[in-house]
Amino acid sequence: MREQPGVSHGLRRRDLLKATTAGLGLGALGGLPGPAWAAGTPWADRPASKVDRLNFVVWTYGDIYSKISRKFNDDWGIPVDSTISSFNDHPTKLMTMYAGNETIDVSQSSPFSLPNFISQGLVEPLDDLPGAKEYLADLTESARQVAVYDGKLVGLPYFSTVWVWNYYSDMMEKAKLEPFKTYDEFMEQCRKVKKDKIAEYPVAWVAGVGLEQLPGTWYQMTWNRGGVFFDKAGNHQLGPGSIARETLKWWVQTFTEQLADPESLKAQFTTSAKAFGAGKNLYRGPNHHYGLNIANDPAQSPIAGKVKVLGSPGDGRTIGDSHVYFLCTANRDKAWAWKLLQYLGGRTKDGQYSQAINLARDAMLGSGYKSVMTSNVITEGWKPWGDPQKILEIWDKATYVGEICNSIYKPWHFPWTDRLNIEVQKALTGQITADKCCDNLIAAIKEVQRG
Amino acid sequence: MTGVSVRGGAVAAPLQPPFRFGRELSARVLGFVMNIPTLVTLALVLAYPIFYAAYLSFHRVSLADLRRGVFPFVGLGNYERILADPLFLLALKNTLIFTAISVTAEVVLAIAIALLIDQRQVWTGRITKFLILLPYAVPPIANGLIWSFMYNFDFGFLNRILFTLGMIHDPINWAGNPDTALIAVAIPYIWRTLPFAILLVHAALQGINPELYEAASVDGAGALQRFWHITLPLLRPIIVVTLVLRTSFAFAVFDEILAITQGGPGDATWVAAWYSYRKGFAPPFDIGVGSASAYVLALIVGVLAIAYVKLIYRRIQ
Repeated sequence: MREQPGVSHGLRRRDLLKATTAGLGLGALGGLPGPAWAAGTPWADRPASKVDRLNFVVWTYGDIYSKISRKFNDDWGIPVDSTISSFNDHPTKLMTMYAGNETIDVSQSSPFSLPNFISQGLVEPLDDLPGAKEYLADLTESARQVAVYDGKLVGLPYFSTVWVWNYYSDMMEKAKLEPFKTYDEFMEQCRKVKKDKIAEYPVAWVAGVGLEQLPGTWYQMTWNRGGVFFDKAGNHQLGPGSIARETLKWWVQTFTEQLADPESLKAQFTTSAKAFGAGKNLYRGPNHHYGLNIANDPAQSPIAGKVKVLGSPGDGRTIGDSHVYFLCTANRDKAWAWKLLQYLGGRTKDGQYSQAINLARDAMLGSGYKSVMTSNVITEGWKPWGDPQKILEIWDKATYVGEICNSIYKPWHFPWTDRLNIEVQKALTGQITADKCCDNLIAAIKEVQRG
Repeated sequence: MTGVSVRGGAVAAPLQPPFRFGRELSARVLGFVMNIPTLVTLALVLAYPIFYAAYLSFHRVSLADLRRGVFPFVGLGNYERILADPLFLLALKNTLIFTAISVTAEVVLAIAIALLIDQRQVWTGRITKFLILLPYAVPPIANGLIWSFMYNFDFGFLNRILFTLGMIHDPINWAGNPDTALIAVAIPYIWRTLPFAILLVHAALQGINPELYEAASVDGAGALQRFWHITLPLLRPIIVVTLVLRTSFAFAVFDEILAITQGGPGDATWVAAWYSYRKGFAPPFDIGVGSASAYVLALIVGVLAIAYVKLIYRRIQ
């Protein structure tokens, strides 16, 4: 068996001492670029080894990666190559590069993909790397649930999000309604709005095929009603009378009564936010909070400023999750890959969480670091698009999605999610009943577990 | 030696001179030598992946295993798995329906349009020909995206046009309705690939001797009779080629599925190539199963190609 690239490039204490000494020497001579070189700190030390370039493989989000690559090059004089694909195509792109023996220094993962990447041998543990303990201590609970696997730190946070509802305030006023407080009230409002011809389809769901979109919507509404998909022992909770099953029946009803926008079944997070900006729907179903930065952006939305955030009914419980960057075992140099990983998911040379701060200010993303989440980066940075206090209140009621559907830690979660997407879409389009859908999903658990 | 020897009064066959560089090669040897680069290229580009995929289909292989180079042999296990998977069987059924619709439409439309542009006296200027061929230049994935915008329920062009023309009163959810989704994928596919079929048929039409038509006209044959008794029989070889090619391509339809429906809604547009892709290139990256499903697909296409040739060629002969 071939040795996995990168595994043998351990970062030794001697390397660190060399790096620190070299860094201090160069720094004293003014040989290192950068405005604030925090000597002696893990993120500011220059690794002793030499690399010509580094790379990362990520999914697209604005131009955040060109900025951070430029900063890395400015700070360390090493160019960074990026391979960027869409969110849904990212696992395929990453794995085909990995299978093709290509070098990958850093990549990223959703909470749904990470256990699979770990089982495939892509993810390098970070515990023994300089500064890892400081990062671990600063992780939010949501980020910790994803970034720590089997007791080991395996990633640094990309962003965290919480699932919220949205509504279009002008339409709400026109209909003389107040945001709903129960699901029954929601249905009544939608029927009224449709009947009064204020909206042809009062609600737009994020129900496109994906690991998170359609499944997440069902997870969120089930959790909000007090249900889960699997208990702690891994037993499914989809049987007759289960909350998940009843939630699905209710959800199907919104399609049966033609209250739901038919485009919902193709909607991804971003496309749904853009579509909601057209002002044709009263509500947008539960989804990532940061969609507001599209729906309330005057450059992208005709109803900018009029899309409001809304918590969930009852006790307001909702779901949240965190996405992470990880150091790939196929890296060219572990010390430098760790350096690059910190630029993406940790601190830059000046000791700042530059990427997390930029993501919060520019894209309304939440951070996986407590110190960022409690700073005015959030309370001030999010203001252009929404009410930060309101979102943070919802944030306090969020539970990590893995608690609701703990199959995400299992290798069969992916094929099961494939089936879930198919069966639930069939239920939502009236091809099968919600009961049949849940029965099929129960049967599918055993099938996918057999492999 | 000149290559001719005489012994006992009999004339012996000329002896082949020993090979020397600079000498002219025999036609057989020259033909063989000139084919070597093509053979090597085909072996590397086509045969190697085909045989390697066959090898993978008998092993349990994840993408990470590909990197490590270690895969356990599972015999026919992957084939058993897919043939027991209702989703694969459904994908095959959808593929057959898709192929039947698209290939039939392509062949019929290709003959009709090729006949039309072959009429020099009507509106078949170069621009018309260019416009007819234009869709073939559109990349498949771009074609899928263009049509997905056109199909959009709320803002799509197609609903807008039909509504304006008074043909519909409510928008139709073309790609989101399980009853119309497969057709909604087939239409862009036909639109993109039809020019190729038109080209083939048009080229064949130009090879038909006009004297045949003149003779038939003198004998009193009408347009329909001329088409039925002259054009169609002489087009049969190219129709076989078109059927074989278009069937094999239609069986592998992927881009339009990816761009427009991603297999949905539900499993309404899961086709065999999408199944292979999802199994092999989406977590958990089961390349062995993906290869096995691709091979089943190839087998079916092969059987259909043989059937076409036997059924239609035999009639010609």
